Amino acid sequence: MNTVLSRANSLFAFSLSVMAALTFGCFVTTAFKDRSVPVDIHVSKVMIKNVDDFTGPRERSDLGFVTFDLSANLQPIFDWNVKELFLYLTAEYTTKSNALNQVVLWDKIVLRGENTKLNLKEVKSKYFFFDDGNGLRANKNITLTLSWNVVPNAGILPLVMGSGHKSLAFPESYEAAKSY
Amino acid sequence: MLSMFKSIPTHMDYKGQKLAEQIFQGIILVSAVIGFIYGLFIQQFGWTVYIMLAGFTVSCLLTLPPWPMYRKSPLSWQPAIPETSGENRDKPQENQSQKKKKHK
Repeated sequence: MNTVLSRANSLFAFSLSVMAALTFGCFVTTAFKDRSVPVDIHVSKVMIKNVDDFTGPRERSDLGFVTFDLSANLQPIFDWNVKELFLYLTAEYTTKSNALNQVVLWDKIVLRGENTKLNLKEVKSKYFFFDDGNGLRANKNITLTLSWNVVPNAGILPLVMGSGHKSLAFPESYEAAKSY
Repeated sequence: MLSMFKSIPTHMDYKGQKLAEQIFQGIILVSAVIGFIYGLFIQQFGWTVYIMLAGFTVSCLLTLPPWPMYRKSPLSWQPAIPETSGENRDKPQENQSQKKKKHK
């Protein structure tokens, strides 16, 4: 501690250690919070086509088109340890060939400081809703849920499901749109 | 250019060093507690970091330059004994130890 550099070294190292302890404290204050909020999903239009599946073997598979509305208030999730939310809409269903199918139709990143009241209308799906086979036609129960991945400043990244889902049925024949 | 910086005296005596260490540790810890509580209150971690940086800057200004308060109790060295040729005969042990040091 006799020279400026030695003192600067001690001071800087001490500050970094204290900063690390503060970051751990930030993590501890929000580690056990429940980050689920109610979500309202409404579907306006559903249609299927039977096309060649370019992502897999050359067979004709069902391709679904869903147009939906989303509304949720995400403000209670944002605390001092949340940097951003990665939202994604999942469709979950059962077919004769597969017991469980989960497809992500749409996603969005909500940064801290952006508008946290989600109120989207007439949104088309962002990603292709291909089925592994022909299980979408006349499928009675397809459940849409909105989930999100919480990206924190310090700590674990949990996957949280919003409370609220929408079950819908696909039409009986191809190229026939069903409105709700 | 570097020799100009190296020639500025930056030393502190031992009690001054202890005082400097206590001062900066105290300031950093106090600003950490204040920053944590304020950040928790307004739910923004950015403010915690800003308050910590402010504490760091204040500590830098207070402890890095060698202020006079850190030089208040200097070590009292013995007065220097002037070296003459007569010294070599009177203190042979010192001479031998000096020789050993020179060999190294």
